[in-house]
Amino acid sequence: MTVITIILACGTMLLLAVLAAYALGWADRVFRVPVDPRMEAVLAALPGANCGGCGYVGCSEYAAAVVAGSVEVSKCTVGGVSCAAALARILGVEVKPAWPYRPVLHCGATYAQRLKRADYRGERTCAAANVISGVQGCAYGCLGFSDCQLACDFDAIHIINGLAVVDYEKCVGCGACERACPRHIISMVPFKAERMLVVACSNKDAGRDVRAVCKVGCIGCRACQRASDLFQMTEHLPTIDYDSYDPDKMPDLNVLVARCPMKRIVAVGKPSEKDLAAVKDQELPGVVMGEFRTTADEAEWRG
Amino acid sequence: MNHLGALLLLAINTALINNMVFHFFVGNCPFIGVSRRIDTAFGMGCAVTFVTAVAAMLSWTCTYFILAPGAPLTTWAWRQFNPTSQAVVDLSILNYVVYIFLIAAAVQLVEMYVRKFFPALYKAFGVFLPLITTNCVILFVCLEIMKHVSGATGPLYWGPDEALVYAVFAGVGFLIAIVIMAGIRQELDHCDVPKPLRGAGITMIIAGILALAFMGFTGVDKGLEAMFGK
Repeated sequence: MTVITIILACGTMLLLAVLAAYALGWADRVFRVPVDPRMEAVLAALPGANCGGCGYVGCSEYAAAVVAGSVEVSKCTVGGVSCAAALARILGVEVKPAWPYRPVLHCGATYAQRLKRADYRGERTCAAANVISGVQGCAYGCLGFSDCQLACDFDAIHIINGLAVVDYEKCVGCGACERACPRHIISMVPFKAERMLVVACSNKDAGRDVRAVCKVGCIGCRACQRASDLFQMTEHLPTIDYDSYDPDKMPDLNVLVARCPMKRIVAVGKPSEKDLAAVKDQELPGVVMGEFRTTADEAEWRG
Repeated sequence: MNHLGALLLLAINTALINNMVFHFFVGNCPFIGVSRRIDTAFGMGCAVTFVTAVAAMLSWTCTYFILAPGAPLTTWAWRQFNPTSQAVVDLSILNYVVYIFLIAAAVQLVEMYVRKFFPALYKAFGVFLPLITTNCVILFVCLEIMKHVSGATGPLYWGPDEALVYAVFAGVGFLIAIVIMAGIRQELDHCDVPKPLRGAGITMIIAGILALAFMGFTGVDKGLEAMFGK
């Protein structure tokens, strides 16, 4: 009895499996949706971070747009150049030179250097502090309430001494910090070289007014404009046109940096050989001082 | 009471009085997961109804002919081995395996169908369409049918018509529940819900209140039975 019951049970399952396989196989043929094989290949080549840095909702939306040909292959900031090359190979198109876009902060003043700061007790976000006047003297500069740090999924931007600092080793260029900043002082620029020149100030006021609110702000002296035509002055503030930025045809970065009396022209990105050599002899601190903040500080009551 | 009246009573009983979500608390995960917008919720309800009907018909057939004690097909196969035996062959041990197998196959079928003919719905479902596989409404319906097929006699016995009505109206009950819930949740987006309750918390509370409201249908079947019984 038992043996035959087992045989019958096995036979039943086998029979059902064959029937179901036949039915599903038939359905697969009848209901087949032709999917562009390039679409699957493109999706496999994308990093799958779904970060939205390309401007689409997720990787699959971007893949669909790429296959449709309505967008360039080089928009994926996480995948970078290798991803663009892979997509171009799949689709058989020419890849235009694509530079990784990375955020740069157009402010360089720490808490100590920003003047007329008030004791702000409102909601601890830049977005809230930005709608109130008088939190600090400079109406353009970094507020330091870490909206960008909270927006970053890659732990690549931190508030250090009240100023956002990008960690270019970790940054993938998704642009979340750019969108989070209520003062729009973070911008995504194409990193055409490992180190890029940045104007680290956003204050458009005249020199006297800037000096009243910031120890280090740009005073609009035009020294940089005289040194190189890379800089265009608009409203007492130089801006860099990154479209015409060409690292091969530029004077040495350090020369340009040295021209600015306020040291507001800075080079950001990976540390250069010279920087590393300069600090080579310095001893590392034996004791690393911890930051006395806990996760509870991040989770404070926000009204 | 005639047969049609009994079927009508069964339908009302299944869809409203013993609503799958509010009375038996099965199918809660799509009920919470896909009830954000009315159109998606309606699509989900229809998909669940369809899968339930298909799976219920398949499982009724399998239970009646193969799995139930003394089922014709298995008994015939048994007689091939030893023609003289009078033992009752019972394959009910296979019930769960076979039901889950059938549900999975039915869901695959529906997924292909929806992908072909309703691409927008397919996109809106996302991961929840394959998840119908693990929707407990469907297994619940299959097990309920199993109870009324294997070993049941007299009025307890369900033929394929009762099984189909039961399955379709179990799905309709789920559809009613999820669409009501989606309507409430759409309005809820405009409300100032206390922060700790946002998301699943307030949804569960609302589901509880809705279940209380559906308790109001209790006893309706008795009244209808008295009406149709004459």
